[in-house]
Amino acid sequence: MLILAKLLKALHSDSGPWSLAFGVGLGMIMGLTPLLQLHNLLLLFIVLFLRVNLSTFLVSLGLFSVLAFALDPLMMNIGESILTSEGLLGLWTSLYNTGIGRLSLFYNTLTMGSLVVSLLLAPIVIFASKLLVIKYREHFLQWVEKWKVVQMLKGSRIYQLYQGLGG
Amino acid sequence: MNKIIRWPGLIGFLVIVGTISAVLILFLDTWIKIAAQSGLEQVTGAEVNIAEVSHTFSPFGITLRQIQLTDPKSPQLNQVQAESLSAQIDLAPLLLNKVIIDELTMTGVAFSQPRASEGAVYRDTGETDGNSFTEQLAENAPIPSVDEILARSPLKTTVAIEQAQLSYDKHSATLKQQYDALPNKEAMQEYKTRIKALTETDYKNPVELAAAKKEFDQIREELKKDKQKLTDFKQAASEAKQDLAPKIANLKAAPGEDYDQLKRLIAGDQGAIEDVTRMILGDKAAVWSDYLLSAYKIAAPMMQSSAEQEAKQQRNSGRNIAFSDEAELPDVWIKKADISLSWQQEVIASNWQDITHQHEKIGKPTRFNIDSAASSLWQSLKVEGDFRIAGQAVSANQKWDLKGIKLDDLALLDQEKMSTKIQHALLASSGALKVENGVMDGAGDIDLSQLSMTAMGSNNFTKVIAETLAGLNALKIKTKLSGEFNDPSVSFSSDLDKKLAQAALQNLSGDQTSKLGELKSKLNAKAQGALGEKNGQLDQWLDWEKLADGNLGSIEDMLGAQFNSVLDKEKDKLKDKLKNKLFGN
Repeated sequence: MLILAKLLKALHSDSGPWSLAFGVGLGMIMGLTPLLQLHNLLLLFIVLFLRVNLSTFLVSLGLFSVLAFALDPLMMNIGESILTSEGLLGLWTSLYNTGIGRLSLFYNTLTMGSLVVSLLLAPIVIFASKLLVIKYREHFLQWVEKWKVVQMLKGSRIYQLYQGLGG
Repeated sequence: MNKIIRWPGLIGFLVIVGTISAVLILFLDTWIKIAAQSGLEQVTGAEVNIAEVSHTFSPFGITLRQIQLTDPKSPQLNQVQAESLSAQIDLAPLLLNKVIIDELTMTGVAFSQPRASEGAVYRDTGETDGNSFTEQLAENAPIPSVDEILARSPLKTTVAIEQAQLSYDKHSATLKQQYDALPNKEAMQEYKTRIKALTETDYKNPVELAAAKKEFDQIREELKKDKQKLTDFKQAASEAKQDLAPKIANLKAAPGEDYDQLKRLIAGDQGAIEDVTRMILGDKAAVWSDYLLSAYKIAAPMMQSSAEQEAKQQRNSGRNIAFSDEAELPDVWIKKADISLSWQQEVIASNWQDITHQHEKIGKPTRFNIDSAASSLWQSLKVEGDFRIAGQAVSANQKWDLKGIKLDDLALLDQEKMSTKIQHALLASSGALKVENGVMDGAGDIDLSQLSMTAMGSNNFTKVIAETLAGLNALKIKTKLSGEFNDPSVSFSSDLDKKLAQAALQNLSGDQTSKLGELKSKLNAKAQGALGEKNGQLDQWLDWEKLADGNLGSIEDMLGAQFNSVLDKEKDKLKDKLKNKLFGN
């Protein structure tokens, strides 16, 4: 319910569609890749320092973290193919011999596979999210506002509490 | 700009990162302790305890205190323990998972020390000791019958008879064949008669002389052939004699040796007598060999660790792919280490250089040495060595020379059937050890002088051992190290084995003595039969050889006979006739 409240608040707020879309995109990257990785620190910095919508970021992070369980085997296979590719061996070897390379754990098949998949998907997800936000606000916002469920939700303690916290 | 940037977000980020860092730093000692314990437990396969950990940031270093590594083979003991370990670690290589330690100091190192409580063992050591001392000290089995002993013992008499027979069979047929082909007495006489006839005939004309010369040459050819046959036979007979004679000598000695061996067998457990040195030394043997191999015990876990890391794959969280390590640094490299071993109340300092398990990366072996001056417990201790690990292969050299080590009240063995204790002794030991491709080869002497021992036995056999030990005032033990580097075997031998065997023999019962008498007569009968037969056969060969020698001499004489003198005589006759005709004398 908290996730739904967050999403509704974000969609019905004054935040720009790009802010919401980047929240979804960056949340997807962090959700699909293993959490305790160096690149996620960079993502956290971007999310917090730039005006990325935190609500859509957190919703996206939660959803894609669940989805990652199903996608892990596929992403590990993709990572394995990339890391064992003959043409990229020189690049990986050079990176492996740097401190930042070792800290990034790029040589892990899941890290590499999930990062590549999420980075490839990120532009599509961001543009699609932006489009969906615009379409939603144009066609569904007023209609949804009238739903009794939404009104109940907006009147619930959780929503009030969440709004009070500035979420 | 403010439309994109969220300044409070930056503060939030810094707060989050700061909090994580603070937690990490605050509990750094705990993380290090957990990591060190679990890492060492993976390597040793048994419980590891570290009482306390502290760290410094500049220079980055850690100190571990009260480290105990449980011995997986005897969990009530610590395989190694140390009072403290301090290390200064290079931070930059650490980012590349390289532990480069400029200086390491380890104090209070001791091996095989008892633990306060038994340590947990996580991995089966796979070690079985099927030849325990308790088994060896079992009550003497009932004395077997003479026929049983003869049947099951690897008797030297039986072997000697077989060997003599084999030797005879090998040469007999060839010699007989060659002997039959030799010229007999009649043939030799015929040669002589023919040569005499040819050399003593008065030839009337040159035609008769030429025919005689031809026949003489033919006889010479036949004689040469027979001479070759005789020479070959003589050679074969000599070889056969050289082969059979020592075997007959062995056969003569074998019953005596068998008798001695069977005496020991009947007197008690021969296996126990032969391995008595190791038995008497008991667990102390393992402790001493631990000290001897202590240098390698540091290296062995590193190798295991390296192999295990490669074998470990984490499929559920992805697989770590190792790329070529261009950084020419080994994974672990301790450039200099000072390690102090505690022994009784004394400290033995050892110096180490370049400890690693990847020597090909640093291009030099790990070196270590101990040079300890006189103390209240010893006169001098000198140990030096080096080792190099390439992959899973180890090459190493070690020499030691220990003098005047005082041993007082040292319990060696404390079992139900027997207990032994050194009251006082001076121990000296020297030796060398070499490891090539993981295989150990080493030997050393342990010399116990000014020895005073007490020993107690509870059955006949252990009482004999105890009495012998109590009477010793010196003991020289030879040790031999062999086997695989990861699983070394140490064997001990000394003149104690012989002394104990003699003592056991002096304590034979009347029944045992009568059985020995029976054994002796059976053995002698067995050997004499074969000996008589083989001696007769050897004598026959000697006769043949003598005969061949005589015939060879005769042939040499006959070959020496010259037909030229006959020719010269006839030539002179012709010359005289010619002179008479020409000058009319």
